[in-house]
Amino acid sequence: MTPATTVPPSATPVLSVRDLSVRFRMRGGRHIAAVTGASFDLAAGQCLALVGESGCGKSVLASALLGLLPGNAQTAGTALLHGEAAADDAVDLLTASERTLARTVRGRRIGLVPQSPAAHLTPVRTVRGQLAETLRELNRTPRSALPAAVRAAADRAAFPAELLDRYPHELSGGLAQRAATALALVGGAPLLLADEPTTGLDRDLVDRTADELRRHADDGRALLMITHDLAAAQRIADRVAVMYAGRIVELTDAAGFFGTPGPRHPYARGLLAALPERDFRPIPGLPPELGDLPGGCAFAPRCPRATDRCASAPVLADGVACHHAEEPVRA
Amino acid sequence: MLDLHAVTAGYDRRAPVFRDASLTLAPGESVGLLGPSGCGKSTLARVAALLHRPDSGRLTLDGEEVRGWRHRAPRRLRTAVGVVFQQPRLSADPRLTLHDLIAEPLRATGRRTEAPDRVAELAAAVGLTGDLLTRRPHEVSDGQLQRACLARALVLRPRWLVCDEMTAMLDASTTAALVAAVEEYRTAHGAGLLAVGHDRVLLERWCDRTLEWTDCAKPAA
Amino acid sequence: MADLTLTKDAPSRTWRSHGRTRRSTRTVRVAASAVIAAATVLAVLIVPPVVQLDEQAIDLALKLRPPSLAHPFGTDDVGRDLLLRCVYGLRVSLLVGLVAALVATVIGTAVGAAAAAFGGWTDRIVMRLVDTFSSVPHLLLGIFIVAMFRPGVWPVIVSVALTHWLSTARIVRSEVLSLRSRPFVDAAVSGGASRWRVTARHLLPAVLPQAGLAAVLMVPHAMWHESALSFLGLGLPTHQASLGTLVQTARGSLLAGDWWPTLFPGLFLIVPTLAIAGLAGAWRERINPRRRSELML
Repeated sequence: MTPATTVPPSATPVLSVRDLSVRFRMRGGRHIAAVTGASFDLAAGQCLALVGESGCGKSVLASALLGLLPGNAQTAGTALLHGEAAADDAVDLLTASERTLARTVRGRRIGLVPQSPAAHLTPVRTVRGQLAETLRELNRTPRSALPAAVRAAADRAAFPAELLDRYPHELSGGLAQRAATALALVGGAPLLLADEPTTGLDRDLVDRTADELRRHADDGRALLMITHDLAAAQRIADRVAVMYAGRIVELTDAAGFFGTPGPRHPYARGLLAALPERDFRPIPGLPPELGDLPGGCAFAPRCPRATDRCASAPVLADGVACHHAEEPVRA
Repeated sequence: MLDLHAVTAGYDRRAPVFRDASLTLAPGESVGLLGPSGCGKSTLARVAALLHRPDSGRLTLDGEEVRGWRHRAPRRLRTAVGVVFQQPRLSADPRLTLHDLIAEPLRATGRRTEAPDRVAELAAAVGLTGDLLTRRPHEVSDGQLQRACLARALVLRPRWLVCDEMTAMLDASTTAALVAAVEEYRTAHGAGLLAVGHDRVLLERWCDRTLEWTDCAKPAA
Repeated sequence: MADLTLTKDAPSRTWRSHGRTRRSTRTVRVAASAVIAAATVLAVLIVPPVVQLDEQAIDLALKLRPPSLAHPFGTDDVGRDLLLRCVYGLRVSLLVGLVAALVATVIGTAVGAAAAAFGGWTDRIVMRLVDTFSSVPHLLLGIFIVAMFRPGVWPVIVSVALTHWLSTARIVRSEVLSLRSRPFVDAAVSGGASRWRVTARHLLPAVLPQAGLAAVLMVPHAMWHESALSFLGLGLPTHQASLGTLVQTARGSLLAGDWWPTLFPGLFLIVPTLAIAGLAGAWRERINPRRRSELML
């Protein structure tokens, strides 16, 4: 079930995020720290699942990478999107102008697989019309080559060619998801960003969507999947990043995380244990307010292992940010 | 006993969503109903909660046949079934604080004086802390809001609970917490449960027995 | 830029803002609208009682004088000061606009909410009536109503109010209908709430911002309507200054090349109504639910 984790590390990652932080300015000069100091690399052919509960900052992180933050947001750090050739055509997604992002990044270098495909597709145009328009816009496909290109694009996302003339409301949830994925793939973007792609889908459909996304990673794309669905993450991820209260608290290989030795951060352990196929036991308490984070470790109030040391914030070292992490088992 | 017999329902008489659905819950029993999205299981849940009048068929609640739905149902029957929906954002009146949200059924039924004690008790049961109760829905997360919606469903001490995809939008820990709160209530009050969803692993772990949608209803032609 | 108070543990970060610049032009627009609207209200409230000048003071020696220091807006064909006449005229027009909009909103909200709440035949009959009334041009219907009474302020208010509640009724009805199918109404029904309680506690408060917005947008509309009726000679008696009667009596002098008796009442009608519409626009943005979710948490 778990894919092989031995992805050859590329010389340069497709996306490297360093100390990315996002905060929102609120009324009265308050700030809400939605993302704090997130750092990770993502290579071609690799899938990183960013997991955490709703409100932990993972969607904000995705919006920051796409340059779609609202007006009251402030960012810090870097998020370099590397090109295929030299290192010098890297774009910092956090500082690039809206013009650069719109013309050269969204669709062309980052494809977005949206959370609710039905809302992402234009209700008044057929799937064929939308694919054709996107092809013309992104790839400058000549009119004569369009029919074949549309079929090829649909085929890549396993969208049945005979349904191309349907309108979005005539599609089931799974088919709408594939249509949206086909649109995301049109520009041949080396990085795919999937924001909660499986929310509200049936288990079978979750598995199928996950497998299809995995296939696109195997085709050599980098895939960043943001989800609260641990089963979907387990199905496709090479690496897992667990977010809690705006920070990445654990970043590790998916096989070890979901299998043995298991997660090392107490929060990640609790999250996995809460699954109905495991202990089905909730983590006590509620996540903290992002506008009023405690000074030390944000998880300490809910943590069974918390001690005095947790009054100082742990840094992410060796893949885990905890003073009392489970020791990695060395064979 | 909650007994649905040969229920046909939908939003257009000529094209019902499903036909001839039958389902029986013994008192205190918990039943999980599994089905793919769009099959009509949510409509069945609304029929069972007296919120949607079926085109034909019978609903019997503790030996009493239901003859009216929504406002036409006697209040005593309507409030015998508590209901929790999939999307907490849409099921909470955006202008009420969480405290008022939970207390609203008490106020609507003229039991306003019980509200302070009952809300405090339920907030603790579903894991909401005091400060959150003064906020409005847009100031809390989905998980926190769904906890409040569950508390609201329990506030009148219903004999039956209908949970329609209650945890589909939520993370693993919140799911486990909400299920634990439901089970705690059921143990204390002996209430029956109809949990509708598509997550087989979850419903099999949660409920006494699970049913496939195809076992109890025919899809509409 | 760096903020060290909240991120004690972290190294000092350099924060970059991503705010759009559009915001500032909007602020300027709203501020200008607010200043003009406030000045208008103050002018009509304070000037008449404080200044104690007689707007009706006739001085035939001074008839049709162009704007000057003594008479900044000039004088009319019987030598009355036009600035004073405009302020009094605005006072009447604003009164008619406000009262008519208020009455129309109350009627419209009640009818729309009742139609949606009862549904079925009530809804169908009421909405067909609304459609029928809407198919008659407002002005025609308004003329018909004022024609039944002696000229005066109240017939005009009644005429404007009775022709303007229709659109509010439609807005409120469709809002209530769309809210009625939300799960939170289901939850209220399941919690034992009566039909009345669902309407009064959950539905009406949710449409009040919309209805209020419609009311504010209706004030300029009603002012224009009053002016139109008065201009046609069907509204207020000619000796009573309103913006419509001012323009109407000045028509003759316009042909003679005297521009000021029509220009200034016209400006007094246009500028305050634009300001009110500007404020209403800002309010609409505020109550827009999309803005509430601007913070993406």
